[in-house]
Amino acid sequence: MQSKKSYIFFILPGFTVYTVFMIIPLFFAVYYSFFSWAGIGPKIFIGLDNFRKIFFDPQISPVFKNAIKNNFVYMAIALFVFIPVQILLAYLIHKKIRGYSFFKLVIFLPFVISSTIVGFFSLLVFDPNIGFLNTFLESLHLTSLTSSWFGDPKKAFYLLTGVIGWQGIGVGMVIILANMKGIPEEVIEASIIDGANEWVRFWRVILPFLKPALINVIILSSIYALTQFDLPYIIGGPTGGLDGAMDFINLFFYRYTFGDSYYGQTAIGFGASISVVAFSIILFIAVLQNTLLKKILNRD
Amino acid sequence: MRIKKKQGPLGWTATILLTLYCLIAIFLIGNLILSSFKTKMDLVYNTFGFPKSFTLGNYYKVLIKDDFIRYFYNSIVITSLSIISLLTVSSMAAYGIARYKFKGKSIVEMYFLLGLMFPIQIAILPIFIILRNMHLLNTYSGMILLYTANLAFPVFIFSQFFRDLPAALHESALMDGAGEFRIFSQIMMPLSRPVIFTVALISFVQIWNDFYLPLVFLTKRSIRTVTLGIYHYLSNFLAYWNYVFAAATIALVPIIIVFFIFSDQIIAGLVTGSIKE
Repeated sequence: MQSKKSYIFFILPGFTVYTVFMIIPLFFAVYYSFFSWAGIGPKIFIGLDNFRKIFFDPQISPVFKNAIKNNFVYMAIALFVFIPVQILLAYLIHKKIRGYSFFKLVIFLPFVISSTIVGFFSLLVFDPNIGFLNTFLESLHLTSLTSSWFGDPKKAFYLLTGVIGWQGIGVGMVIILANMKGIPEEVIEASIIDGANEWVRFWRVILPFLKPALINVIILSSIYALTQFDLPYIIGGPTGGLDGAMDFINLFFYRYTFGDSYYGQTAIGFGASISVVAFSIILFIAVLQNTLLKKILNRD
Repeated sequence: MRIKKKQGPLGWTATILLTLYCLIAIFLIGNLILSSFKTKMDLVYNTFGFPKSFTLGNYYKVLIKDDFIRYFYNSIVITSLSIISLLTVSSMAAYGIARYKFKGKSIVEMYFLLGLMFPIQIAILPIFIILRNMHLLNTYSGMILLYTANLAFPVFIFSQFFRDLPAALHESALMDGAGEFRIFSQIMMPLSRPVIFTVALISFVQIWNDFYLPLVFLTKRSIRTVTLGIYHYLSNFLAYWNYVFAAATIALVPIIIVFFIFSDQIIAGLVTGSIKE
């Protein structure tokens, strides 16, 4: 074997499977999206018709808009509620409050539990008939507080958001925590000597140091928010719960592609156009955040 | 010696709140395991207590009658073979990228990193068609191929590691007359044992728990994984809920054991690359 070219031998197997099963499919999705095709039989070129349907068809577009709205509301909650909580949790653990190593472990733990089991936990707790929560409230004679929980479209989305947060909050937390550990002791000590109190120290010394990590966590959380599937599907079912309260773009895609939501039939071409739209949104958000955040955060 | 700092009232409030929060997970998991040994009657009238009489009936029903033993086997085969294949392919690719200089190297690097940004769901539909045309739907090989193709993160972790190995290692081995592949397999691989282990752990958690790919690609009953089996119980929740405890315990216990023994490696692996140097 010639040593100069041997990198090809090492890279080739990975390059091949990755290209065939991850990259080429992306282009195929774009290609299929211009066709009317049920997956078998003839493909009929229909130009941008599939996209027009997503945005303007009176039956389909309200469902699409509701789903994508849920993705964005969830993303907003992830960015403005979950990330601050993750920073706070990381800070408490970093400060070694009593029980910190136990907290770190148990807060992270649900992340390694399969979504089907997390879904089962949610049903156990929130089932209107046999659920722990209603049973508990009834035993306290607080019957007025009982609810159908996931069966109530007004509550379902926020409950679901809470469950997704419960499962995933530990990831951002450990990323932020690992970066807090990288803050040099001298920097902290200098600020103590300067007489900065804890609050000032947190805002002026610790938070600025975390900027690159936070950009990462923001982008990761956003991609995660835009690709939600498992828990909404397991808890809300393929249709995304009552009134589509738990519907997300990926469920919408799944129903049309592998189900029969397209006027009663499977529609590969139409499904492909949904994934192209989803893909473009993710790409747009990721690039936007990357450039914008780097600009804003590196200004000072 | 380090003197423990006194904790103020704010600190104690945080400790108490977090303890309560953590009790949710502990309660749910503890209850799950205990309930799996209860009879249905016991479950209804004694939801939270210890089982009145331990029964293995749920496990018998789940494992033998409802075929979970088969699902468990499927999960083990898919997970273990996927990890082996993923580790081999991704460590080689990372090694090729990190240890050699060639034209277009940075482009190849970027190309592999793309996969970090796009979850596999985005491309699922064409993948489905490709696998269908290759007759790989409902097969172990199809799943193993897909989990191997999802290699951006392992490649990233491995190349970070290989990059930091001293160049002298490679040179002296060459002088001793070792071939390129021998250098990789007999010098570099043993050195990377900790990284291999970390990647294996993370992949184990992800593949064992995966729901989406099995849902799409494993539609035949006989090839279902454990997570998929549990899902099919859940879709008829009220009829089967007493069995789900046993099924979920079977799926959860291996993960919990691995997690409590190796949580440091799992967490360290996941945060690789997001730490500012």
